[in-house]
Amino acid sequence: MRLKMNPVHIITGILAATACGSLAIAALPGTKTGFAAQSKLDYQRDVRPIMAANCFACHGQDEKKRQAGLRIDARDAAYGKSDGGHVAIVAGKPMASAVYQRISAAGPLKMPPEKSGKRLTAGEIDVLKRWIAQGADYTPHWAFRPIRRPSVPAIQNPKSKIQNPIDNFVLARLLKDGIAPSPEADRYTLVRRVSLDLVGLPPTPQEADAFVNDHSPDAYEKLVDRLLASPHFGEKWARMWMDLSRYADSAGYGSDPLRPNLWPWRNWVINAFNRNPPYDRFVTEQLAGDLLPNPTQDQIIATAFHRNTMTNTEGGTDREEFRTAAVKDRAITTAQVFMGLTMGCAQCHSHKFDPITQKEFYRFMAFFNQTEDNDQPDERPTMPLYSDAQQRQIAALKTEMATLESSVPSSPEAKAALEKKKKELAAIAPVNLPVMKEVAVEKRRQCTTLTLGNFLLKGEPVLPGVPAAFNSLPPGAPASRLGVAEWIVSRDNPLTARVAVNRFWAQLFGNGLVVTEEDFGQQGTLPTHPELLDWLAAEFMTPTQRPNEPTTQRPAPWDIKRLLKLIVTSATYRQSSKAAASAIEKDPRDRLLSRYPRRRLTAEGVRDQALALSGLLSEKIGGPSVFPPQPAGLWQAAFNGDRTYPTSTGEDRYRRGLYTFWRRTVPPPNMATFDAPSREICTIRRIPTNTPLQALVTLNDPVYLEMAQALARRIAREGGATPELRSAFGLRLALGRPPKPEQIQPLVALYEKELAQYKTGIDLAKKLTTDPLGPLPAGMDPAEMAAWTVVSNVLLNMDSVLTNH
Amino acid sequence: MDYRLENTRAITRRTFFGQTGLGLGALALGGLLGDVALADNPKSKIQNPKSPNPLAPRKPMLPGKAKSVIYLHMSGAPPTLDLFDYKPELVKLNMQPCPDSLIKGERFAFIKGVPKMLGTPYKFAQHGHSGTWVSEVLPHTAGIVDDITLIRSLNTDQFNHAPAELFLYTGNAIAGNASMGSWLTYGLGSENQNLPGFVVLISGGTDPTGGKSVWSSGFLPSVYQGVQCRSVGDPILYLNDPAGMNRDSRRRSLDALDRLNEIEAKEYGDPETLTRIAQYELAYRMQIAVPEVMDISREPQHILDMYGAKPGQGSFANNALLARRLVEQGVRYVQLYDWGWDIHGTGTGDDLMTALPKKCKETDQAAAALIRDLKQRGLLDETLVVWGGEFGRTPMNEARGGSKYLGRDHHPHCFCLWMAGGGIKPGMVYGETDELGYRIVRDKVTIRDLQATILHAMGMDPYRLTYKYQGLDNRLIGPSAEAVVQKALFV
Repeated sequence: MRLKMNPVHIITGILAATACGSLAIAALPGTKTGFAAQSKLDYQRDVRPIMAANCFACHGQDEKKRQAGLRIDARDAAYGKSDGGHVAIVAGKPMASAVYQRISAAGPLKMPPEKSGKRLTAGEIDVLKRWIAQGADYTPHWAFRPIRRPSVPAIQNPKSKIQNPIDNFVLARLLKDGIAPSPEADRYTLVRRVSLDLVGLPPTPQEADAFVNDHSPDAYEKLVDRLLASPHFGEKWARMWMDLSRYADSAGYGSDPLRPNLWPWRNWVINAFNRNPPYDRFVTEQLAGDLLPNPTQDQIIATAFHRNTMTNTEGGTDREEFRTAAVKDRAITTAQVFMGLTMGCAQCHSHKFDPITQKEFYRFMAFFNQTEDNDQPDERPTMPLYSDAQQRQIAALKTEMATLESSVPSSPEAKAALEKKKKELAAIAPVNLPVMKEVAVEKRRQCTTLTLGNFLLKGEPVLPGVPAAFNSLPPGAPASRLGVAEWIVSRDNPLTARVAVNRFWAQLFGNGLVVTEEDFGQQGTLPTHPELLDWLAAEFMTPTQRPNEPTTQRPAPWDIKRLLKLIVTSATYRQSSKAAASAIEKDPRDRLLSRYPRRRLTAEGVRDQALALSGLLSEKIGGPSVFPPQPAGLWQAAFNGDRTYPTSTGEDRYRRGLYTFWRRTVPPPNMATFDAPSREICTIRRIPTNTPLQALVTLNDPVYLEMAQALARRIAREGGATPELRSAFGLRLALGRPPKPEQIQPLVALYEKELAQYKTGIDLAKKLTTDPLGPLPAGMDPAEMAAWTVVSNVLLNMDSVLTNH
Repeated sequence: MDYRLENTRAITRRTFFGQTGLGLGALALGGLLGDVALADNPKSKIQNPKSPNPLAPRKPMLPGKAKSVIYLHMSGAPPTLDLFDYKPELVKLNMQPCPDSLIKGERFAFIKGVPKMLGTPYKFAQHGHSGTWVSEVLPHTAGIVDDITLIRSLNTDQFNHAPAELFLYTGNAIAGNASMGSWLTYGLGSENQNLPGFVVLISGGTDPTGGKSVWSSGFLPSVYQGVQCRSVGDPILYLNDPAGMNRDSRRRSLDALDRLNEIEAKEYGDPETLTRIAQYELAYRMQIAVPEVMDISREPQHILDMYGAKPGQGSFANNALLARRLVEQGVRYVQLYDWGWDIHGTGTGDDLMTALPKKCKETDQAAAALIRDLKQRGLLDETLVVWGGEFGRTPMNEARGGSKYLGRDHHPHCFCLWMAGGGIKPGMVYGETDELGYRIVRDKVTIRDLQATILHAMGMDPYRLTYKYQGLDNRLIGPSAEAVVQKALFV
C-alpha cells in the first residue's frame, strides 16, 4: 500500500511545509514532555501539535496546497479515502492506517519527505501510533468549544488564604505539582503593585502610608475601589487599547502626514474605561456605533476605532489599492482584537490551521467593505467636533444672529453686524474626526474574493458572512458591521469573553493564561489554567453575586472594573514575588503562578512613574497629543510633510506617555526603545526586551535627566538635612517603601564623591542641574544639587524602580 | 510553548556575570538559566547558544562566504536605463510615441495618455575585461565592473516607493514585518558586542520613503532593530552622558547602581535583574566604542580622498567609509539609504539632466571606493555589497502635466542592481531586458529571489530562517515557495 506521490508533490511539499509551522510539544512545567506512557492521549494537547508542525501544510485545510487529496486535520476526511483510495486513519488500527504506514516507512515513502527538513522523532511517531490505537478521537479545539462555567475545585484544608474562586483554581493546579503558593506580599509592595497595575502611577508616600496603617479588614478592598474610581484609571487602560487599535497621530506609509484629528477618539476610550460601560457595549459602539438606532455623537466618535487604519498619500498611489488594504486591516484587526484569531492568514489561502477558508475571509471582510472612506488625504468622511467653549460661542452667536435677522426692517448697521457674526461663526474651527459611515445604498460595492489579496485580481462574488466553524449570526442580525458586533458579543461566541478576560489577566500578570494573547487558534499556546479561564469568561458574561457585593443589586454582566477587582483581590494576585527555591525549580517561568511575576514597566509606565516621582507629572486628562522633547532632527528626515517637531512648552512637556504625539514612521524613540510598537498595525502583545539602548534612554535622555534634576530638588526640599536622610528619602520615594541601610550607604558614598568633584567644577555643576529644567531655586548650592542629580539619575534607573514586583 | 516569548526571554537575558564581578546567586539561578535552554527550537535551526546574549555570534546554517552585508540603497529608484542598461534601439526611438502594446493594461503612477519614448541622453561605453556597458555619469563605477556582478533583470511587484521599499527589505509591502538586517542579526548575531549588530546610515537629506519601518525588527525582538547612527548630534540616540557629567561620574554612578541592583537580585532571584546589570555595563562600553568607530577623522587623508569623504558631514561618501569601518569592527549588517533618486522630471530637482548627474556625483566615487577599499584590506571576500533601488523607471518620458524636463515614471517590471564580494562572481553581467528596456527577456530575478540570494550568501537557508509569530513560521522571503537562490551569481 502506498500513497500516490510524484516529484511535483515532493517539491511543493517541502516548500509549503517549511513555510508553516514547526511547533514542539507544548509542555507545562511540571509535566514531562514525554507524558505518562499509558495515559489516554488528547488530540489537541498531544497529537495535533505534531501533525500541525509536520503534516498539515500539505494535508490540511488548504485545498490548494493539499497533496494526494489527503487531509488528516479533520476526522471525517481522515477516516475517508484519499484520491488514491487509501484511508489515512483507521481508528484503533495503526497498521491499517496510511498515516502510520508512511511515517514509519523507510526510504522514499517516508513522511514527511526527506527534503522537507522535517522529521518525526521516534517519540512522536509513537504518539501518533498510540493515538490511532486508542481510537483516533479528534476532540475539537478547546477555544472553539462553547464556554461552560466549570465548577470551582474544592481545596481541602487550605494552608494558604483563599480570597475568591480564582485562588481555588490556581491552588488546585499548584497542589497537583506539590508547589506551595507564596505568602501575601507586604503592604508597601501591594499598594505600589496595585497602583501601578490599575492606574499606571505609583502611590504617593502618603497614599502608601495610609494603606499600610489602615488596619480595617477591608483596607485592601477600599484601596482597590479608590483606584478603580480614579480618573487616571481610564488613562492606564486606554494605553493598552492604543496598541490594539493601532492609534496614531499620523496616517502612515512613506509620507506619513500628521493626523491631528483622531485624539477625540482617544478621549472617548479614556472616558469609556472610566465610565465602565459593559464590554459588549464598548465593543459594539467601536465597531458599529454609527449603525445603532439614533446614534449619539459619542457612539459615532467610537467608530473612529477603525479609522486608525493607514492612509497612503504618496504621489501616484491607487486609492482603491490602499482603501482595500485598510478594509482588510479592519477585518483582520477585528478578528485579532476581539476573538484572538489570525484571520489575516486566510487572505491568500485558506487558513492552514484554523477553520477559516479563503472565501470565508472575504465574506467576513465584506461586512467592512461598504464604508465611504477611500484613502483620501483629508480622511473624509469626518464628523466636526466642537469643544464646550466653542459650542457656547456658537449658541451665543446664533442667538444674536437670530435677533439681528428678526429685526425688520433691517438697517445697514444690522446687516453689517449680521455679516460680521456670520464670519465669526464660520471661523470657529472644529476638530474633524474621521468616522465610519456606510455608502449610500446605490453605491454599495460588489464584494469578491481577491487572489493573493491583490485588489486587482478579483475572484468570485461573495456576500457578507461569518466563518461556519463558529456561532452563526444571531437571529435578526443585519448583514453589516452591526451584525458583526452582535455576533462577536453574542454569548454563543466561544472566543470573545475568553479573549477579553485573558487580556485583562495578562495586563495584571505579564502573561495571559493563554500566553499567545493574539492567537487563540490551534497554533496558539494552550491555557495554563483552562478551567480558570472559562470560569472567568463565564463570570464576566453572567456574574454571580460575590460575598462582598451588596445584595440589593444584581451584578452587571460584562463589567470590566468588576472583573479587574475580582482578579486583583485574589490571593493569587496578592502573593509576594520573592521566589522560593523549590518553586523556581518546579515552576521556573512562573506559569503556574506560585508567585507574583516580576516584570518591567511598559514604555509609558517607565515614563509616567519617573514623572510622578520627580514631581513634574501633569495630571491633566485628555485632549490633543503633546510633544515632549525629543532629539533634534528626527522629523527632519521624514520623506515629506511636516518636518519640524513642535516641542511642547510648559505643562505639556510632562504629560503621561499616553498623550505623546505618535508619528508612525518616527515613533517616540525613548518609548520605541522600551518596546512600544509603531502602531502601523494592531499589536496585541508587546514582547518585553532588556537591552543596553534602554539603559541609555533612562540614563541620558534629556527628558529623564530633567526628571532627575527635579527629583534632586525634591529631595533637597523634602528629604531632610543630612545626606543619609536625603538618600533614604529618595529611596523611599523611588521604591515606594522604607529603604534598608545597605541601600542607603552606596548612595551616600556616591553623593559625597560627586560633591567633592562638583565643588571643583561649578560650571559643570550648573550645567548638570539646570539644563533643561532651568535655574536652581534660591538657596540651592549647584555642587550639592549636581551630586543629588547624579544620585537621582541612579534612583530612576534602579531595577526595582523599573520593575513592578 | 510560545517561542516568540521564550526566544526573547532567552536572548535578552545576558549574563555577563564575570564582567560584572557578580558571583552572587549565579548558582542559585542556575536552574533558571538552564531553563532558558528550552528556548532552543530544535526545528528552527537557529542556533541558540547556551550563552543567552542575543547578539552573540552564531554559526551560519550553511557554508557561506559572506560575514557582513553592506547594502547601498538608492532611495527613490535610480533610472538604470541611464546608468547600466544600454538600449541603442530606445535611443533611436527617442521622443516617438509609445507603441500601444507597451501601455495597454498597464498601470502607471503618473503617466497619462500616450507617452513618448525616452532614449538615454548619456553616452555609454564598455569597460574592463568584462566589457560591461556603463553610462558616462558613473565614471568611477565603470572602473570596478570587473569586481561586481551587474544584474539587469530585477523585477518587483510594487510600483510606489514606500510599499516597494518595504517589500524589498521586509518581504511585505505593508509595514510591520522584520527587515533583512534584523533577520540576519537574529540568525547570525554579531561579531562585536560593543556595537549594534545592524546599523543604518542615512544621506540625501531625508529618510528613505518607506520610513523607519524598513529597518524595523517587526515581530522579531526589538534588540534586532536597525540602529540609526547619525553624523550630527549623538551618533546613537542618547549615547552621550548628560552635559555636565563626566565619565568618572558615570562610572561611579553605575557602580552604585550595580550595588543596589545586586541587593535586588539577591532578594528576588530574578535573572532579569542580572541581565539589566549587564546591559548597563554594555551601554557604558558602547558609549566609548560607538563614537570611536563613527569618527572618520581617524582615517588617513588618502582614504578620505579615495571616498571623497569629509568629516562632519552626513554624506553618502562619509557613510560608505563608515560602512567599511563598521564591518571591519564586526558589525553584521550595514544599511545605507541615500535619498533623492526619484527622477520624474517635474523640474531640475528631479530630472535626468540635472538631478541625476548630481546624485551620481554624490555617490559614484564612494561606492567604487568602498569596493576597492574592501578589496585592498582583504575584506571583500567576506563582505557582500549590494547597490540598487526599489524598482525601475519607464523607457518613456513621464512629462507630468506637460513638464519640459526629462524624467521617467515608476516601472516595476525591470531594473538593474549590482552585487560584489561575499562569494559573488566578479565581472559578470546577468539577465537581459528587451530592446526597449521594458520587460525582462532572460534570467529574471525577483525581489524574493534577491532576498533569498542575500541570505544564502550569508550562509542562511532562506527557507529555514524562520521565526514563529501568530502561529506561523515567518520568513523574510514570505510564505510562498517562489523564492529561488540565484546560484549562478556565485563563484
